[in-house]
Amino acid sequence: MAEFTLRIRRWDPESGEAPYWDQHTIDLEPHRSVLEGILQAKARFDGSIGIRCSCRAAICGSCGVRINGQPGLACHTHLDHALKGAKDGVIEVEPMGNMPIIKDLIVDMDAVHWKKVQRVTPWLINKEPIPEREYIVPHHNMVDITQSMACIQCGACVSDCLSMEVDPEFIGPAALAKAYRFAGDPRDAQQFERVKDLAEDPHGIYDCTHCFKCIEACPKGVAPMNQIMRLRRIATGTHHIADRNNGERHESAFVSLVRDHGLLWEAELLPRSYGGDSFFGKFAPKAGMELLDSLPVIARGLLRRKVTPGKAIMPPRDVPKDAREEIKRIFEKVEGRDEVRELNLYISGYDEDAEGAETASASSAAPQGQTSAERGQPGMSPEESPTR
Amino acid sequence: MPEHDVLIIGAGLAGQRAALAAAEAGATVAILSKVHPVRSHSVAAAGGINAAISLDDRWESHAYDTVKGSDFLGDQDAIEIMCREAPGEVMHLEHIGVTFHRNEKGELDLRAFGGASMKRTAYVADITGQAILHVLYEQLMKYHERVDRFEEWFTTSLIRDDDGRCVGCVARDIRTGDMQTFKAKATILAQGGAGQCFKPTTNALICTGDGIAQAYEIGAPLMDMEMIQYHPTTLVENGFLITEGARGEGAHLLNSEGERFMEKYAPNKMELASRDVVSRAEQTEINEGRGVGPDGSGIYLDITVVPRKRVLEALREIVNIGKDFAGVDITREPIMIRPGQHYIMGGVKTDVHGQVPGVPGLYAAGEVACVSVHGGNRLGANSLLDTLIFGRRSGEHAAERAKGMPIPKVSDAQLKADIARIDRIIARPRDGRRVSEIKDELGTTMNRYVAVFRDEAGLLQAHETVRRLKEQAKTAYIDDRGTVFNQDVLGAIELGYMLDVAEAIVVAALERKESRGAQFRTDFPERNDDEWLKHIDISRNGDDTPQVSYSPVTITQWQPEERKY
Amino acid sequence: MKVAYWPGCVSRGFTPELHGSMEQIAPLLDIELVELDRASCCGAGVIAEHSQELADTLNARTFALAQQVGSDTMMMNICSTCQGAQTECQERLDASAEYRALVNENLAEYGLEYRKGVKNKNLLWLLVEDYGLDELRKRVKRPLTNLKVGPFYGCYIVRPTDRLGIDDEYPRDTYMSLLIEALGGTVIEYAGAQKCCGFPIITMNKEASLRQAGRHLGDAADADADCLVTPCPLCHLNLDLQQPLAERIVGRELNMPVLHLPQLIGLALGLSPKELGLGRHIVKPTSVIDWSTSVIAGVA
Repeated sequence: MAEFTLRIRRWDPESGEAPYWDQHTIDLEPHRSVLEGILQAKARFDGSIGIRCSCRAAICGSCGVRINGQPGLACHTHLDHALKGAKDGVIEVEPMGNMPIIKDLIVDMDAVHWKKVQRVTPWLINKEPIPEREYIVPHHNMVDITQSMACIQCGACVSDCLSMEVDPEFIGPAALAKAYRFAGDPRDAQQFERVKDLAEDPHGIYDCTHCFKCIEACPKGVAPMNQIMRLRRIATGTHHIADRNNGERHESAFVSLVRDHGLLWEAELLPRSYGGDSFFGKFAPKAGMELLDSLPVIARGLLRRKVTPGKAIMPPRDVPKDAREEIKRIFEKVEGRDEVRELNLYISGYDEDAEGAETASASSAAPQGQTSAERGQPGMSPEESPTR
Repeated sequence: MPEHDVLIIGAGLAGQRAALAAAEAGATVAILSKVHPVRSHSVAAAGGINAAISLDDRWESHAYDTVKGSDFLGDQDAIEIMCREAPGEVMHLEHIGVTFHRNEKGELDLRAFGGASMKRTAYVADITGQAILHVLYEQLMKYHERVDRFEEWFTTSLIRDDDGRCVGCVARDIRTGDMQTFKAKATILAQGGAGQCFKPTTNALICTGDGIAQAYEIGAPLMDMEMIQYHPTTLVENGFLITEGARGEGAHLLNSEGERFMEKYAPNKMELASRDVVSRAEQTEINEGRGVGPDGSGIYLDITVVPRKRVLEALREIVNIGKDFAGVDITREPIMIRPGQHYIMGGVKTDVHGQVPGVPGLYAAGEVACVSVHGGNRLGANSLLDTLIFGRRSGEHAAERAKGMPIPKVSDAQLKADIARIDRIIARPRDGRRVSEIKDELGTTMNRYVAVFRDEAGLLQAHETVRRLKEQAKTAYIDDRGTVFNQDVLGAIELGYMLDVAEAIVVAALERKESRGAQFRTDFPERNDDEWLKHIDISRNGDDTPQVSYSPVTITQWQPEERKY
Repeated sequence: MKVAYWPGCVSRGFTPELHGSMEQIAPLLDIELVELDRASCCGAGVIAEHSQELADTLNARTFALAQQVGSDTMMMNICSTCQGAQTECQERLDASAEYRALVNENLAEYGLEYRKGVKNKNLLWLLVEDYGLDELRKRVKRPLTNLKVGPFYGCYIVRPTDRLGIDDEYPRDTYMSLLIEALGGTVIEYAGAQKCCGFPIITMNKEASLRQAGRHLGDAADADADCLVTPCPLCHLNLDLQQPLAERIVGRELNMPVLHLPQLIGLALGLSPKELGLGRHIVKPTSVIDWSTSVIAGVA
């Protein structure tokens, strides 16, 4: 047993007072959870502390909170681990963000989380005819959407979504991960309609700022941002939807610029994102408007010689010609193939054996004699990142 | 005052399924839940759902396995219905979108499970309960115009009119503290089990026996209350469940001598014998000094024998649990488990339509009910099935019955009484015991005397303790005096429910002087069909003591025989 | 030490002062830069969004080129986005021999092969972990005393923590603070340090993109920072190049200069703001220039 101090953010809506911090010292074994700590505080000191909780085993999704500023499940966070992230040795527990607070650690999920989930038509729209028995579906398809299905609707991803912070109407990680569960289900009849809807919505799949917060927050490995990217892949790759938000054009322009020049040509990227992926993209009205809008910036850039006129008009030539040819041929080879080859580590896990002979570097930054694979954890992530 | 044809209390699998079935049958439906529906404990069910869908399988085989699993206490008419309707229900689930795993041919894959004579468990990795629950909720969102949802509403009482009919309930909006009477032509109880009477338990904090106690309170009969399932593989650390699916995939149970001791107890089915058999085997090994762990109170579950790729695909949750709660990589080392309280076979007595005898208008489905399809012991993956089959049947029957019936007249007497009761609890002076203390003592007592092995002395001790705690609960005080989200006062009410349920359990266990299924009496170690092939019913006497009676077991095809695995 | 140096695209495009300043400080640190001029853009997550195999192949090629420099040679990048995008690809490539073989097939005709386990680190990590802050401190000629610096990491170098090897042993999400302090500066803490600059959505939702940049710049200003420093040129674009537009969107003046990491280091090593290309920024780093002028005057 050890002592831990919890600082809990309290708010009593009936008191008329502002929120305040409430501190309690509990004692439990270090590997017990923050939730158990809070429940002990409730049991021993103050039963009015409000927190939703039920299963204690990270499956019901009730106890989403922020611990030391990071979103997660209270039942899933060990006290000793939380202590490490604590300022001045006190573990801070606050309600989740991006959602209105009802009382103490309890937030109004209906107002934000569930509202967004309902936005994505979260039920199967059957492909007809419905078979008498089961639909015949390839094994890997079902395993694939199990990652989205693993979502327990805890709200941790919504809590800290940075896009939602500046754009509250963003549909958000939880709802979009749920949308993938249907878009990726071969039994659903409306894959095209679903992705088109979400691609065209200005607060849809192209409103995600790609910040990885939701991947970091999720206690179940759902990786919502990855699901959003898969929705984008379906929208552009499968259905070639040229959305009004410039998402497809941006992606298309980026890809073709790197294909042709080996590097990104920023000056072309912007106009093509608006006007379309070709040399003439910049002459399209949308691109013209954007260029006009950016004139002050362009002017200043030229003035300060951050960008020379040459740099703006001529493509980058830092990569030697023959290397550029190699790169272009790689693009053509991979894109030219019909079959799409993707590796989802959530499903496939990591190789078991050390394969020491194949390891290139002597792992100078890693401890002697251990490669990342040897110390790897099954299924979730390697204990050691590839960068160590 | 909300009024509906069908009122459903509890939004787990049984409740949600009942709501959808009733709505489809044209009834006006309300569903109440004290937590958001997807937080219901059905979400924790892992391993799978049984159905004889394989073309090589027959529902009769499934039924026989269930009857045998129940140690012949199950009512065979109900079991036949459940097993016969199972394939249709699983296909229905598939059609509304449950993401069942496939085999190489793209058909539903089936895994092995405890007590089953062949592979007939459909599954979604090891999150089957979650998958089905979330898909049912998707349907409720789809049909939001047909089903009124009251999420985070706590039911305080059922209402019985002067003619003895159940006409609705009183419930509290947890968010605002506002209390309302809900009128309904039919009320379906679906609040689940009562694992919180035991400590530790695999059950969530919300499993406080609400429905069982509320039915008991208005005079409905409870049945088979002594039958408490101890799941063989719960984490020694904290009582968390490790799904039977692990053993279904081939995992072994080992004692301190490294032997697969199930050979001694169930040489044919080994680790996949019925749960009561496995739990008793483990407990015996532990009691006889062959347990593992620092105090020898555990048993090793060895999943390293299952191919790693398969573990990642089909047992992902256990990988997480092992890592997060026990610091163990289950693909490389065994994990320590022991038997833990998990399920209650007993509950509110019902017929095969979910109707509660003696209380017209009252239904029950799911773990809260006792039809009985599980008898003395439930097979793994039969609970998910039970909830859906009888949830559907209750919903359909209630909807049908509601046609042409007038909405009952309900006074606000119960509402007033409940409001007063809550006010009294809040006002209690701080000189009694704390609610949490009483709950802890209850749980420890039940786990000590009413567990895998029981005897008269222990049961009497338990009964005495429960009655003492009931007295103390009357003056137990709480801290929260507010109205917004007052979880404290609800905890005090739940404590009352748990104590009622605990008493019924102990009384029934004392009454059955026999060992059958999950009940093992060291003073009566043999099964005794001559005297005890019958159900024990409990109902409330006017003066708050449980009254015992018996009812017969329905036998159709299968005469009781010796039960060997 | 010798490194296989991947400069990235933007450091040679719209933020040439980044590559320029890196080349300036390398000899002062005795770091030999072997430039991977044949390597391609890392994809910045956008190419991976389009096609995982394509992004994995392009980066496997870059890794293979680095491995050709020397099997033990570390690869170094100067861009958070490159670090994140490349590590994501490396994670897949290293996780499965089967997949790696597939990708290597795409490279075979160019005589290239990626062997598992390349060590790819951002300048920031390299300095703390391999070079050593003590060694860096020895070379500081002009400590950044009284310069209040707010770190801005860039999402791709701080999340997800497990993929990027961030934990108690390697607290890489605190390295900016350690570095600023090692250079003698004062670390300014403010809310936006590890949030998103908004660059990925600049063409898709310009307002939301620049509202993010504007807020974080504003938070730093409120915390009294003299400047921000970032290891990511894409962040630099949204924070510096777009600052005037960001000001309009958040409705306040910001005047917050943003420095590249090598520029900050260069100042401490004794180089002048002009040499480091500080004059090329859209937001004139007046406070920094004033500070350096006063320090030089003081020293002189």
